[in-house]
Amino acid sequence: MKTLDKETIEKGLKVLNTKDNGKLLTHLNSCVHCGLCAKSCIYYRAMPEARFIPATKVDLVASIYRRYATTTGKIFPALTGARKLDVKTAEEMVDLLFGACTLCGRCTMHCSIGVDISYVVRKGREMLSEMDMIPDTLQKTVDAALETGNNMGISDTDFTETLEWLEEDLQYEVNDENAKIPLDEKGKDLLYTLNPREPKFFPLSISAMAKVFWAAGESWTLSTKMYDVTNYAYYTGNLEEAAVITQRLYDEMENLDAKKCILAECGHGSRAFRWEGPNYIKKAYPFEVITSVELMLQYLRDGRIKVDPGKNTDRVTLHDPCNLVRSGGVLEQQREIMKMCTTDFVEMNPYGNDNLCCGGGGGQLAMSEYNERRMKIAELKAEQIKATGAKVVVTPCHNCVDQLSQINVVFKLGIQIKTVAEVLADAIVLDENI
Amino acid sequence: MEWYLIFALAAFFVCIAVLLFHLFRVISLGNPRDLSSSTGNPKAAMPYAFVGAMSPTKKESAFLYLPTYTAGIVYHIGTFSALALFFIIIFDINLPPALSLVLSGLFIISGLCGFGILIKRIIKSQMRELSNPDDYISNLIVSIFQWASAGVLLSETLLPVYFLVAGILFLYIPVGKLKHTIYFFAARYHLGFFFGRRNVWPPK
Repeated sequence: MKTLDKETIEKGLKVLNTKDNGKLLTHLNSCVHCGLCAKSCIYYRAMPEARFIPATKVDLVASIYRRYATTTGKIFPALTGARKLDVKTAEEMVDLLFGACTLCGRCTMHCSIGVDISYVVRKGREMLSEMDMIPDTLQKTVDAALETGNNMGISDTDFTETLEWLEEDLQYEVNDENAKIPLDEKGKDLLYTLNPREPKFFPLSISAMAKVFWAAGESWTLSTKMYDVTNYAYYTGNLEEAAVITQRLYDEMENLDAKKCILAECGHGSRAFRWEGPNYIKKAYPFEVITSVELMLQYLRDGRIKVDPGKNTDRVTLHDPCNLVRSGGVLEQQREIMKMCTTDFVEMNPYGNDNLCCGGGGGQLAMSEYNERRMKIAELKAEQIKATGAKVVVTPCHNCVDQLSQINVVFKLGIQIKTVAEVLADAIVLDENI
Repeated sequence: MEWYLIFALAAFFVCIAVLLFHLFRVISLGNPRDLSSSTGNPKAAMPYAFVGAMSPTKKESAFLYLPTYTAGIVYHIGTFSALALFFIIIFDINLPPALSLVLSGLFIISGLCGFGILIKRIIKSQMRELSNPDDYISNLIVSIFQWASAGVLLSETLLPVYFLVAGILFLYIPVGKLKHTIYFFAARYHLGFFFGRRNVWPPK
């Protein structure tokens, strides 16, 4: 049987010994194993087994803490279920903390005590990262970002060529040969980021946002060097790698002398850069960071863009990305945009802060070894969508778009999946903006 | 002073000392140093974390499990009332007979609620998988303490038993999960801070 050497164990335990603040100590000591979090978890709902109860995942981490950091756990480990950090425990952690949690945070909001379960799971992932036990499939995504500058390994040539033909399409669509997708231009008001899935698989969402910028008369640019809004190291729990990725975008903001950083429609990316990023690189940003959803609503409110909801008459519903909504506070903006740009907008049930994760979060889309589980939990989202009768599902997150696209095929929903920018771009009244 | 009273008081002071250690430790460690720009109002989120967010209409852990949630609330009301009774007895404050009767009724019921939760933990396989010995012991001791509180209100002859049970409870609190007496408040605080900074709580 494999064993973990002392050094590896110490590296893992070091994560639990951080004394920077009282948050970790609090959450490791708070769970009372009431089990009432069970039905808040999509994994448990889809597969009602004890191991999928969020409290079980918390306890995996907390039991190690008890074994090594509490008097009772050291003297009478059996009394409090204190566990040694050995191969068996570590493998269980990999399976449950990586393979059975999307870090959606729904359980946190509904925990009877208030344990930040998602935070404890992330700490568990940090431990595994320190112990070099991150699933290879997930780590490869981070490696691609570190090595090539974007998590899909898109070459600069492919990227610029894609943007060139998108720019031609834009000029044709808006009938303006001066319509541009600016690249690496210094001193612009906005630096816009992308999820690499956009140039790779969903280029029309770039066109849509470019059309929005054009219609608003915005001063903006993309960067060829650092356009990737994602940060999969947020998922792996490797704080050093997360800091490297964050620092690159920070540096590019300074290099291009942009005033504001606009985060593309990407749930975890917006969270990783806006909320976690300053803590990864240990400095506050000297520039403003907002999401493109917030920016689009500003345009509409300020009258910089005119829209006709009659251009989107199919029934539309919204899927709320967990990191953007439940952990990012961007909840009403996309709804206001939908109400302005569509004629038949309906909510899912539940929605907003209570919405169910699509199943693609937490790095699940990258970890193919858990595909079967991922599609099992996806059935809940499929049922939610079906119940709305919507023909179009809009979501401000490209990872969610990817998962919803797979849900669409597997559960034969026959829906269209769009980003907020795509819906807004379709609703733009061109004549009034020229 | 009787031996059982000395035992209970000594246990109480040990308990308080350990809980204060936990409290001061968690306070001294402080808030996470968050360098991101807040978009919300943590001060408004704090009261919401402790009140609004705890309401059964907001919490799935409450409205999907209403019997257990209700039993839990009654159980905790009984626990805190029984702890208050401990001081009433220590300071030899006489309660009106009617109030004693009402309180003893409350403690019998709240103790039964706690016991019911314990039974649920025992008979449901998933709860057994989730539980460790401390979960059963904590639940049982607190339930017995509530019944002992009921008993002592009905008959003073039970004073030795009452103080013995109280002493055991006080000695056990710092050992296991009953420490959540302290950490519950810290957890709600941190949650309010987190969701408040990000403009998630209080809900719009």
